[in-house]
Amino acid sequence: MTTELDPLIHMPTRLKIVATLAALPDGDALSFTRLQDMLGLTPGNLIIQLRKLEAAGYLASTKTRNGSAQRTTVALTSQGRTALSAYTQALRDLLGGLDVDAASPATPATRSVQGMRS
Amino acid sequence: MDHIPGTVGTTTADNGGDFDPRQAADLLDQVTRRARRQFTPLSPLLLTFRAVIVLVIFGGVWLSVRGEHPYTGHIGGRAITVAVVLVAVNIGGTAWVIERAGAGVSGPAQRKWQAWKGFMVAAWIIGYAITAPLYHAAPGHPVWGLYPASAPLLIIGLAGAAVAAAFRYWPLAGTCLAIAVAAAAAGFGGPAGSWLITGTGLCAVYLGLAAFTAGRQHRSMVRP
Repeated sequence: MTTELDPLIHMPTRLKIVATLAALPDGDALSFTRLQDMLGLTPGNLIIQLRKLEAAGYLASTKTRNGSAQRTTVALTSQGRTALSAYTQALRDLLGGLDVDAASPATPATRSVQGMRS
Repeated sequence: MDHIPGTVGTTTADNGGDFDPRQAADLLDQVTRRARRQFTPLSPLLLTFRAVIVLVIFGGVWLSVRGEHPYTGHIGGRAITVAVVLVAVNIGGTAWVIERAGAGVSGPAQRKWQAWKGFMVAAWIIGYAITAPLYHAAPGHPVWGLYPASAPLLIIGLAGAAVAAAFRYWPLAGTCLAIAVAAAAAGFGGPAGSWLITGTGLCAVYLGLAAFTAGRQHRSMVRP
């Protein structure tokens, strides 16, 4: 059973980025502006989070120049998809444990993560 | 306060607080569903609207021609006007949804989708373009009556199913095949009845696809 949550993904902003890009078909990329628009993030915040994900190999970014305009696109790599899949599985495992504990009145659900850790 | 192993330092440092697994699961589902909705060119709402449109258009034509004995194929002006307006609204809505879904997206799947759109536009034009010379060739009324309600959609459905299968778009391939089956079945309804059978058949197909698409969009990433 996998209970470790990838710390790189387990953060709201980065989870949103990875989940949004994972909704695209494998190999497709999304423009920086569309991603920013969909997530409602400031450009600075988005760039910081994208750099962290790219440094881990979860994302690949491509810059193209058309005349004076520069277009940046980002895509989830196969490593990023695998990481999200593992993260989702870990969440399932953790929540399964939480649900089992919640069904038992003697064990508060809030302690289940601690219980799984030990 | 309990923490997820190996995540405390990162989440606290980056976000200023803890991120509970339940919150993470909810956020993951919420973001994934919204992204699926925004990226899909098959909007359940548009498909449902299309189901109503085909029922109104084909049903309207059927109401217009069902009393013709013998069948002349003359469709009432009101039915044609309603059809033109609804088709225009459908084309506008479809173009808007496709444009929104593909905005900022690039890559192999996007190129395949562009090719699929090109094939389908060609199939629609060819399917209905054959209607004009057939009309001028003045075939018998039963043939002329069946043709516009059944044959173009048979051509479009089969062509669409073949292209969708080649692209491995299985839900679309199934939908196109179902359209072809409905059009073929309409051929057994006679000149007037074919309009009604095609209308109800297409309505059922679009409603089925809308339900399938909505179900797929709302499927949870984490929970069963």
